[in-house]
Amino acid sequence: MQAAIERPITTDVPVHLEGIGKEYGHFTALKSLELTVAEGTALGFLGPNGAGKSTTIKIMTNLIRPSRGRASLFGIDVRREPTRALARIGAVIETPEFYGYLSPFETLAYAGRLRGMSPKEIRNRSEVILKEVKLTEWADRRIQEFSKGMKQRLAIAQALLHEPDLLILDEPTSGLDPRGMAEVREVIKSLKGQGRTVFMSSHLLGEVQEVCDDVALLNHGELLVRGSVRELSRGADTSTIQATFLRPATPQDLEALAALPGVEEVKDSGDSTVDLRISGGEEGQARVLEAMITRGLRVTTYRPLGSSLEQLYLDRIQESDRL
Amino acid sequence: MTPSPFSQVVTVARYEIRKYIRGRRLLGMVILVGLIVGLFVGLPPALGIKYASTPDAFVSTFATFSGLLVVLGGVLFASDALVSEHEKRTGYFLFPNPVRREILVLGKIAASVIVCAAVLSLYYGAAAIAALAVTHSLTWDVGLSYVYALAYMIAVVGIAYLISALLKSTVAAAVLTFFLFTLIFSIVGGILPLAKVEPWFIPTSASGIIANALGGPAIRGGPGGGDVGFVPDPVTSVLVFAAYAIAGGILSILLFRRRELSS
Repeated sequence: MQAAIERPITTDVPVHLEGIGKEYGHFTALKSLELTVAEGTALGFLGPNGAGKSTTIKIMTNLIRPSRGRASLFGIDVRREPTRALARIGAVIETPEFYGYLSPFETLAYAGRLRGMSPKEIRNRSEVILKEVKLTEWADRRIQEFSKGMKQRLAIAQALLHEPDLLILDEPTSGLDPRGMAEVREVIKSLKGQGRTVFMSSHLLGEVQEVCDDVALLNHGELLVRGSVRELSRGADTSTIQATFLRPATPQDLEALAALPGVEEVKDSGDSTVDLRISGGEEGQARVLEAMITRGLRVTTYRPLGSSLEQLYLDRIQESDRL
Repeated sequence: MTPSPFSQVVTVARYEIRKYIRGRRLLGMVILVGLIVGLFVGLPPALGIKYASTPDAFVSTFATFSGLLVVLGGVLFASDALVSEHEKRTGYFLFPNPVRREILVLGKIAASVIVCAAVLSLYYGAAAIAALAVTHSLTWDVGLSYVYALAYMIAVVGIAYLISALLKSTVAAAVLTFFLFTLIFSIVGGILPLAKVEPWFIPTSASGIIANALGGPAIRGGPGGGDVGFVPDPVTSVLVFAAYAIAGGILSILLFRRRELSS
């Protein structure tokens, strides 16, 4: 079930989760998660609502205690030595609220002082980072006037202030407009380029595919898949293809398509367009296209609906929900 | 490199004090102090009543109301300090920093004590100046009453922090803190003597020493004041204040450390 990529586990890897689990009364939010993230990796942490993503991140940042297991950051146990474990990380968890009576500059100064940065260092880094998240104009305004998107930008700024070696992001683009989302993605990519480690939960598979090297898929508190984005995308067996023809397909054409090997479902979407669910990976898709042409259907477009990662995600979640 | 715990306590305290100043709570308290002082100084001549002739008697009028001021200080500057980090979700910003929860509590307690002490100092300062202007003299008893009021304030802050660490709502914490000192403790302290139990361990009863240091209350104490009959001796009272302050502080640290940010 689990397509794990073997990685050497050292004692001081940025993230090492050893069988962590969490119960809230009778509800199991997280079963027994084993996960390691190597240095310089950007890991996309995927899963539907209630899968256990936020619980994992809260355990990693010492906001909640695990019911069992151990979370270590750079080889330091988060529960035993939270101060040391959190010193090298920057985190955005959910959409944090800030003190409304402070400005972004003051908020960053507060975080910087708690981290032991000098006033000069705080000032210089704050200027750079607020520019990066496009909050320079608002740097001296009270946060109580800010929108959710602006607070999210500030959350990212405070996480980046001290140039952390590990960035833990829980839905980092939540609340941002499309331009803001793209900007945040660029920031994360540039951090990845600098060799920093990123642990990012997201609902947006396209975002994960664009930013991350690896993905870990979680459902019902259990790890379903772990591997590199490229390999998992390639290995996705089923995909949905949208084909558009020059003339509308007849009911006989649709029946013939449905009978082709590897075609699991055919849906007439109107306007000469048909959605086909095809198994067999890229090979299967090529076979169906050839069959269409052989049958005399004049194909004008033939494109996947959503990414193969999305298909893998949906398949695995559906499979896990059935169990 | 993470700074020393003391340096982190100072940082937390500084930002907490900034919160109280900018949130206008401090301004509100200063206005209230001005109003009380104005009434005590302005009302007697307006009604044709003579001022007290001795400084102790003059300041005791102020001292009887210092209990209420202390309780209001606890409500405004302490009761929501911990619970708000959870309720208002600011903990999501603060807690992932490399700072221990006990450091956060100690920094916040320091800020609450400093701000409450500033308000109380202003009140006693104004009372002392008025006494000096009216009676042309001052006694050490005024200073002693002030010290007792500070000790009572620290006890109130300790209990307010315990309530703040226990409850899930800022409003509930504020309301419980207020009624605990203005109603519940006073009722218990008033009823216990009827059962032949001396309420020496009730902080509002112990707070009677604030006025007693000046020869007893000149007028009946307001809510939160210690004029409820039995008043323990000064040493016992101060020990009671210390016990509540230490127990409240330690329990609030333990509870805050255990509390999870899961909402």
